[in-house]
Amino acid sequence: MMRGTIIGQVWATRQAAGLTGRKLVLVAERDADRAPTGRLVVAIDTLDARGGDDVTVAFGSGARNVIKPGPDNRELLCDAAVAALVEGAE
Amino acid sequence: VILGRVVGEVWATRKDARLGRCKLLIIRPQGIYEPRWATGHLVAVDDVHAGVGDQVVVCLGEPARRSLGAGGGPGPGAGAGRGGAGQDFPVDAAVLGIVDRVAIDDGAARSSTGAGPGVHRALALWQGEVAPR
Repeated sequence: MMRGTIIGQVWATRQAAGLTGRKLVLVAERDADRAPTGRLVVAIDTLDARGGDDVTVAFGSGARNVIKPGPDNRELLCDAAVAALVEGAE
Repeated sequence: VILGRVVGEVWATRKDARLGRCKLLIIRPQGIYEPRWATGHLVAVDDVHAGVGDQVVVCLGEPARRSLGAGGGPGPGAGAGRGGAGQDFPVDAAVLGIVDRVAIDDGAARSSTGAGPGVHRALALWQGEVAPR
């Protein structure tokens, strides 16, 4: 999983089957020292994250499990999803 | 998932049978991602009827392959229902959707834990490129 900050939102009306209406957010990755790495990803957000929120993003099949857990989620066209809103870290 | 722009189409008559009727698009990823995407182009299958000039979000890797043959689009179809959705298709990138608008949270993007130097400007430029639909 990746750690990052929500910096924006992406609207896409025409989307692949199964993802219609899902919220897409722009996430800027941060390293262990909380410094931005310059890498940006678009992730599907089911947790209603807001701009500035500290989040973790799951990739690959882990992302599909965020959206729809279970063995029948393989058709979901999703490789990144917000998995958690981080409140604190040490 | 990454942001990118459709810059062309690919036609191929002789191709893997499992690609069937898949439409192939050339995508220029927005150059603010990982260095490996910064200058190159990638080819993605398209089920949402994106056209040249469209801004799109592109799904990479295994989920892109799995989604094919699941129905709901013009996908290859040939392998659907055989061993699960699209798991044997030779594909690792698929257009997930056509972007209408990108909204940047200025405060979050400019803060010390936000997007980092240069990225905010790159995003602003990119936003300027997004044609109203």
